[in-house]
Amino acid sequence: MKSARPWPIVAGAIGLAGCSDNQSVLNPKSGPAAELAQLSWLLFAMGAFVLLVVLVAVFIALRGSDRTRAVVASPRAVVWGGIAFPIVVLTALLIYGVWLTGASQLRLKERADLRVSIVGEQWWWRIAYEGPDGKAISSANELRIPVGRATLLELTAADVIHSFWVPSLAGKIDMIPGRTTHLRLEPNTAGIYRGQCAEYCGGPHALMAFEVVAMEPNAFDEWLSTQATPARQPGTPTTTRGQKLFLALGCGGCHTVRGTEAAGTIGPDLTHLASRRSVGIDTNALSAASIAAFIRDGQHIKPGNLMPPYRLLETEELSAVSAYLAALE
Amino acid sequence: MQAPARSIRRTVYRVLITLIWLGSGAFLVAWSGVYNVAASSGHWGVVDAFLRFGMRHSVSLRAGGIDEPDLSSRDLIALGAGHFERGCAFCHGSPDKPGSPVAAAMLPAPPSLATPLHPWTDQELFWIVRHGIKYTGMPAWPARERADEVWAMVAFLRKLSDIDVVEYRALAVPKGDTQKGPSEVPGAALVRNCATCHGDREAGPESALVPRLHGQRERFLANALDQYAKGTRPSGIMQTVALGLNGRDMQLIAKYYAGLPSIPAPPSVNKHETSELGRKLATEGDPARRIPACISCHGPQMHETFPTLDGQSAAYLAGQLRLWKAGHNTATDSAAIMAPIAVRLNERDIEALARYFSGASAQEAAEMRP
Repeated sequence: MKSARPWPIVAGAIGLAGCSDNQSVLNPKSGPAAELAQLSWLLFAMGAFVLLVVLVAVFIALRGSDRTRAVVASPRAVVWGGIAFPIVVLTALLIYGVWLTGASQLRLKERADLRVSIVGEQWWWRIAYEGPDGKAISSANELRIPVGRATLLELTAADVIHSFWVPSLAGKIDMIPGRTTHLRLEPNTAGIYRGQCAEYCGGPHALMAFEVVAMEPNAFDEWLSTQATPARQPGTPTTTRGQKLFLALGCGGCHTVRGTEAAGTIGPDLTHLASRRSVGIDTNALSAASIAAFIRDGQHIKPGNLMPPYRLLETEELSAVSAYLAALE
Repeated sequence: MQAPARSIRRTVYRVLITLIWLGSGAFLVAWSGVYNVAASSGHWGVVDAFLRFGMRHSVSLRAGGIDEPDLSSRDLIALGAGHFERGCAFCHGSPDKPGSPVAAAMLPAPPSLATPLHPWTDQELFWIVRHGIKYTGMPAWPARERADEVWAMVAFLRKLSDIDVVEYRALAVPKGDTQKGPSEVPGAALVRNCATCHGDREAGPESALVPRLHGQRERFLANALDQYAKGTRPSGIMQTVALGLNGRDMQLIAKYYAGLPSIPAPPSVNKHETSELGRKLATEGDPARRIPACISCHGPQMHETFPTLDGQSAAYLAGQLRLWKAGHNTATDSAAIMAPIAVRLNERDIEALARYFSGASAQEAAEMRP
């Protein structure tokens, strides 16, 4: 039995290590997230205090002298400690919590510097930025936002209920088919934060995660203007062949690459695929090889996704298509 | 209370003892070898009658409730005919020639099918052709999921008693490309078997249920033959033909048909209607239902492994879409792409698309794209 003892400590250490990474309520990187973290700490502290009081009462009840036990058992102790104290404490916490979240709801109505629409689909994120000229700029599965400015997210879902949650930047909010919900992100530190679908949405729900890249405002503006441009034309014989194959294989039936015939809207926009950090799922770092793996057998990477496996491609054809896509910066 | 319980126990005991005796007796008979298994020894008349009695009732019980298509369809009959000559005539004989004496020496001897097939109903015939009959040598259909092919055979069997040798030969016996001599195209000699159903330089397929291969993509055709031979694309008819071909034959046949000029289907088959649904699905798809436009893969720029739909009949196209939708064709690399899309189509979509593509070429469809 002795050897089992270190485990709670190890587990606790791993748990605490989780608190400092890029997907944690306790590691806030925006105003509203900091308020939520503060509320969380307050709740933890109050919970700990109440637990301590209860433990003391239990200790007295078990080990105390007859006189102290009589105090704990008296009707007065029950009325004050068991009724009045919880009512006062819980009411205070409720009012504080409602005031805090209400305040961030009010801020939703303030002017935002950028609007982004995000649609939750089984099992990916369809993202469209409102460009400076009001035109939508499509992307997918990775959100980029400027630091120090307010981004208003307009969230909805295409099929079932999803939930948008980036713990380091804001609270979570459901994405509901036929209804638009809003969330405001104002990161105060540049960095890469991880978000996740927080409502079970079928099969590979657990793989429906994404990254939020908070960028310095100038870098963001530059990035967004690049995203607004059509796709770069292939520059090498391999990528030229890749583009030809991409169109011949019917990829454009589902995917858009602006500047080519491919204008499908069923799957993610691939115009600037190579400017993203991952392909398919957020842990699958973007490279020609990982693109090829997804084309050939995406069902093993994200089971149940809509993309059929293109096993019929010759190795040379597959590498040409993935080289073309990996060059779409 | 005790007496009946004891008598029940005694009865069970007696039954068990009897069963053990019977089993041991049967084992001893088999072990001693006294039973003659020779096909030449035949059955006693009473045994033969009993076996037929059992077979008829077994088939009749299982054939209940099967939906039947219109068996007078020329398309079904022509499709069944081509396979009959290759798959059935060896044992059962045909108007052209009697069955092989090898098969006739089986027990029971395969019946001639030229006499009217009484007393089987259409459903019973369908059941027999699909499942075969145990202990008789009658095999099951090689691809049991292809009920459509089995019906074609039943339609032809119903027709068989009415046709003479001339009509039979025209329908079922391989003709092949008659162009011989120095101008002979490579592969022409190989396509004799193909031409019975798919036609050749001079003619397209007889049956609207058979695809037109004239001008089809070479790599697609070679892949299809390979898939049929391996059994990954199920077809009792095509597997039987393709198994006899080696890789080089497949390439030559594919090249032959790919090089033929297209022969348009007769107008009676081309019931082209520009229904809005068909046009929309073909050229734009339906993103809300996750259906991509057909021409994104089957357009003029398509990959060599994808088939052109130009000139195919509505009946063939609808039949293929239904096979994918029903999950009967999912194992090949190309079906892995098409099957998940076909599942999202409903019967109305399938009808509309089949009619649309039976009239419009890929080029025309691409030009209609918004």
